[in-house]
Amino acid sequence: MSSSDIAIKVEHLSKVYLMYERPADRLRQFIYPRLQRLISKQPKTYFHEFWALRDVSFEVKRGETIGIIGRNGSGKSTLLQLICGTLTPAGGSVQTNGRVAALLELGSGFNPEFTGRENVYMNGAVLGLSTEEIDARFDEIAAFADIGEFIEQPIKTYSSGMIVRLAFAVIAHVDADILVIDEALAVGDAFFTQKCMRFLRAFMKTGTILFVSHDTGSVKNLCNRVIWLEKGQILREGSPKEVCELYLQAFYEAQQGKGTSTKLKILKAHNNSRPLKDQRLDFINASNLRNDLQIFKFDPDAVSFGKGGAQINNVELLDQNGSPLSWVVGGEQVTLRIIAKAHEALDAPIIGFYITDRLGQTLFGDNTYLSYMDNPLFCEPGNEIEATFSFFMPILLPGDYSITASIANGTQAVHVQHHWMHDAVVFKSESSSASTGLIGIPMQHIELEINHPST
Amino acid sequence: MNPHKDHPATPIAMFTSLWRNRQLVWQMARRDISSRYRGSVIGLAWSFINPILMLLVYTFVFSVIFKARWNTGGNESKTDFAIILFAGMIVFNLFAEIVNRAPSLITSNANYVKKVVFPLEILPWVALGSALFHTAISLFVLLFVQFILHLSLPWTGIFFPLALLPLIFASMGFAWFLSALGVFVRDIGQVTGIFITILMFMSAVFYPISALPEQYQSLLRLNPLVLIITESRKSLVLGELPDWISMVIALLASLAIAFAGFWWFQKVRKGFADVI
Repeated sequence: MSSSDIAIKVEHLSKVYLMYERPADRLRQFIYPRLQRLISKQPKTYFHEFWALRDVSFEVKRGETIGIIGRNGSGKSTLLQLICGTLTPAGGSVQTNGRVAALLELGSGFNPEFTGRENVYMNGAVLGLSTEEIDARFDEIAAFADIGEFIEQPIKTYSSGMIVRLAFAVIAHVDADILVIDEALAVGDAFFTQKCMRFLRAFMKTGTILFVSHDTGSVKNLCNRVIWLEKGQILREGSPKEVCELYLQAFYEAQQGKGTSTKLKILKAHNNSRPLKDQRLDFINASNLRNDLQIFKFDPDAVSFGKGGAQINNVELLDQNGSPLSWVVGGEQVTLRIIAKAHEALDAPIIGFYITDRLGQTLFGDNTYLSYMDNPLFCEPGNEIEATFSFFMPILLPGDYSITASIANGTQAVHVQHHWMHDAVVFKSESSSASTGLIGIPMQHIELEINHPST
Repeated sequence: MNPHKDHPATPIAMFTSLWRNRQLVWQMARRDISSRYRGSVIGLAWSFINPILMLLVYTFVFSVIFKARWNTGGNESKTDFAIILFAGMIVFNLFAEIVNRAPSLITSNANYVKKVVFPLEILPWVALGSALFHTAISLFVLLFVQFILHLSLPWTGIFFPLALLPLIFASMGFAWFLSALGVFVRDIGQVTGIFITILMFMSAVFYPISALPEQYQSLLRLNPLVLIITESRKSLVLGELPDWISMVIALLASLAIAFAGFWWFQKVRKGFADVI
């Protein structure tokens, strides 16, 4: 392969920041070690190192669109800045072929005191365009940014959305070979985001894009390849779907491990060794109307509270055959099983659950009270209680959902809460066929009929 | 332009970068000047009013209150002292404005360091451009007043730019040096103000160097600004020819200062983004 096919080549790239506790330490570090070496003493260091990026290597071919994902502080922005050349690497090298235009965070090198027009000219000049070239494109840029009279106002009077509009409009019109885009599109409104996406799709045909986002949806949508950064290193690199799924899974696992309020100690985590069945397999043909719900395993450390007379040991979703699911398809019948263990005698145990969306709104839920109201089961200490709820999983709009489970003793009105577990299981809904509302329910029959008026 | 190459630190690069970015420098300098008067009612007129007011104040304080004489010989009028003083002031202010602004040149443009690959080395040129604008206006006021009073101008005024050239290069050298240093050591901004004030009194702006006792004269002549200011007065007011040899030496020395400053700037600029 000739080197001209490569747009970006990153080799063993590292970036270290020296962290000083006091500004004066910086000066000490500058002077003392030299003196100490002079009198052949072991030089002392006055800083500690922070490796923002450590030994990162990859190549991007011309015309590829690469997504970079990772949590806050994983080194994404540092990597982009190194590629753009605003930061200097501590080790390794970066090579870029062609004009690089970057949209790093907000504002991208605008001077807040200058007007939009002046900044367009200055930004264009920085990116290597002459005044005449910018003159020729100015109307297009202004039309793309679509911020009206604000173009003649100082940037400091702009809203953050307007700044991004203008910044994007500029980099879209400088004939860049490589575009570097850092989270910026999230700020624009839906119309502008659509406009940017249309532009990016057109640009992708010839140019190279490096795209950083937290939104795995748009990463999957746009990119040919995804790089997952974690603690300054490449954790995984590969197809967008594969990497994004692993990333999300890790993200939820990490998040759920962080519950801080009162926790009940789990004596014995339920043995969950049965293989998880992928229910989607049966639905591969029903492709574009499918509603995939990815389910992450029961999290015994989720935030919980309660009196502790009983304890929820497992919450899982099963298919009709009783095998645990890692994926559910909206509209299918599923069984939610909650297993709890009693530590004291319970004369009228109730187990319940509800499902909340990402905003914490309760979508639906139920409990065992009504079904066992007349002849409650008695549960001795040490017994396991198993509750199963069979229902049709509604079609869920894309987003994050969680199942909250609880076990109590008493009646619906008067009861003792023994264990209440927030977010016992978290799941994510991807593409959805539901058109509107909080949830969609499977339609049994949809028909369109035209009745001709009788003549 | 490859952003991953080292920044060239050769004397030639000092000028090629200015040439390559001339449009940017021009735009930014214009912007810099107009932004100073933005929002004021009479706007750019202030750039005329300031030097005129200063000239009036000097005339009053030194000629009327102190009854100072420059000892140019002949029949020296009250206004002559003020004009000679003002000529020195113009030159000194050019230097002072650039050096005073230098420590914050980079730090006040953090966006250009962190968000885009910006030719940071042109920022001192921009400061120079805006300082030169004010020099030009003051110069105009000076020549105008001289013409009103004497109905003639010394023809040697055409050599004034020559006297200014070493000052410009030396100022640029300091600007590069201080602007880069100011990023790492923020205290520099505090020091330059005091330094400039001290230097003003050490530069024979308010008095002719001949007014000093012999032993201090030679000491003060070590300050290169004394030479520049004396030469400027000769060409602008007194109508004398420049001291060619001194001027050539000054020019060479100032070029060396400029290059040293530029070299330092280009070497340490890699660290800017880490600190800002």
